[in-house]
Amino acid sequence: MNRTADYVIIGGGISGAAIGYFLLKNGAKNVVILERNYLTAGATGRCGAGIRQQWGSEMNCLLTQFSCNFFENAEEELGYPEGIEFHQGGYMLLVSNEDELAQTKKNIALQNSLGIESQLLDVNQAKVLTPILDTGNILAAAYHSKDGHLNPFKTTQAFADAFIRMGGNIYTNTAVHGLKTENGRICGVDTSQGHIATDCVINTAGGHTNIIAALVGEEIPIYAERHNILVTEPVEPILSTMVMSLSLNFYCQQVPHGSFVMGRSCTNQPRDLRVTADSSFPENMAATVVKIMPALKNIRMLRQWAGLYDMSPDKHPIYDRFPNVEGFYVAAGFSGHGFMLGPATGQIMAEQILGLEPTLPWNRLGLSRFETGEMILESSVV
Amino acid sequence: MRIEEHPILDFNRGKPITFTFDGQTVTSYENETVAVALHSAGIRILSRSQKQRPRGLYCAIGNCASCMMVVDGEANVKTCITLVQEGMEVKTQIGKGILA
Repeated sequence: MNRTADYVIIGGGISGAAIGYFLLKNGAKNVVILERNYLTAGATGRCGAGIRQQWGSEMNCLLTQFSCNFFENAEEELGYPEGIEFHQGGYMLLVSNEDELAQTKKNIALQNSLGIESQLLDVNQAKVLTPILDTGNILAAAYHSKDGHLNPFKTTQAFADAFIRMGGNIYTNTAVHGLKTENGRICGVDTSQGHIATDCVINTAGGHTNIIAALVGEEIPIYAERHNILVTEPVEPILSTMVMSLSLNFYCQQVPHGSFVMGRSCTNQPRDLRVTADSSFPENMAATVVKIMPALKNIRMLRQWAGLYDMSPDKHPIYDRFPNVEGFYVAAGFSGHGFMLGPATGQIMAEQILGLEPTLPWNRLGLSRFETGEMILESSVV
Repeated sequence: MRIEEHPILDFNRGKPITFTFDGQTVTSYENETVAVALHSAGIRILSRSQKQRPRGLYCAIGNCASCMMVVDGEANVKTCITLVQEGMEVKTQIGKGILA
C-alpha cells in the first residue's frame, strides 16, 4: 500500500474512477483511489444507468452533453475493447398533462439552443419508436435519439483499468477511518490498511460523503435518500428507447442482455443510509409500468435492490473545495444522476484541482451557491 | 412411461386430455402438469438455452427456469407448474422468450 500519495480519492464509483483517470490524463502523478467495499458497490452499481441530455437547466444539459460525447468514444479513449454497452437507442420522456407539456416545450427549446437535437413527438410518433407503449396515458413525448443507457459496471471498470494502466493505484476493501489535518490543511488519510500521507483528498463517497466530511468537522448540504429499482428476467429485445416520465413517476429500460431495469420514486424513504429493499416497491412499480407498457404484464421480476441518491438542494452536483480545509475537495450531490455525469465530474474535478482552464462552467457549481441563493433549479429528476 | 401399478398407491387419473407439442399430439390426463405430460410421453428437451444447449425438467416445483416453454403463444411459461388443458399448443422455446 502507498504510504504517500499526491492525490487520494475516497470512493470507488464512477465519480472516483473518472476523477482518477482525468487527474492522470492531465498530468497528475501518484493518485490513489480508496474504496471501502468493491468498485461500483455504492450508487454506481445500483443505478438505472441511463444517460440523457434532456434537462430543464442549461447546466445539466452541458454536463450531460459532455458526458455523452465522452461515452461515445469511451471504448477507444479508455482502451476498453470489451465495450461499455453504450446503447444510443434514444430516450423518451413521456408527457401526461398540460403543465408538463408546457415545461417540456421550454426544455426542448433550451436543449436545441445548446445543440442537443431533442424533439417533441406526438403520440403516434412515440408509438413508432416505442411500440410497446400504451399511448392512452400520454399527450406527447420528448425524445432525443443520441441518449440511451450503458453498463455502469463496465464503464467504471474501463475508467479503473485505464487509471491503473496510467500508474494509478486502487485499494478496495479499504475504509477511511480518519483524515489528518495540520494548520487547516489536509495532511493524511487513516485507512483500514494503514496511513497515507497526502496533501490532497477528494471526497466522492456518494451517500456517505458527509460521513467522510465529518471526520474533519465539515458538512455539505446534501442528504442520502434511498431509491428502489428492480430487474426482470431477460427476453428478446423489444424496447430500444429508454422511457421515463416525471408525471407518471417511473423510468424503464431494457439492457442489451434482455432484462428490463426499472425504478420509480417512492414516498417515505429512509435517509439513514439504509439500502434494504422496500417491500411495497415491486407492486407499485409493476402497477405503474404495466399501465404504460402492458406487454410487460407477464414478465417475471428477478430481484429488487436499492441505492442512495445524494440529494443536493438544487439537484445539481457540488464540485468544490471544503471551505475550511485546504486540499480537501468534494464531488457529490448528484441527486440521482451521478453515473451519467461521471465523465464531466472527472474532467471538472481535474480542472479544479490542477488549476486548469475550465471547459465547463463549474464555477457555478460550488458550495457558495447555497449561501448566495444562486441555485440552479432542475425539475427533471425521478 | 407411466407407473400403471404400484404396491401401495392408487392412481386416479382424470379424464384424458390431448394437446400438441411442436405440432405433435400428446395425450395426458386432467390435473397433470405440462412438463409431467411431456416427460411421460418421452419428451426430455423442453427448451434450448441461448447457446442452443438442451434444457429439461429440473426442479419441477417452479423455482428454476429450466422448463420454460411457449404455451399458447406465451413465452417463458414454467411448464412444471402449468396444468395441461385440452387443445393447448406447447412449443419448444429457443433462447430468450419473445414477449407476445
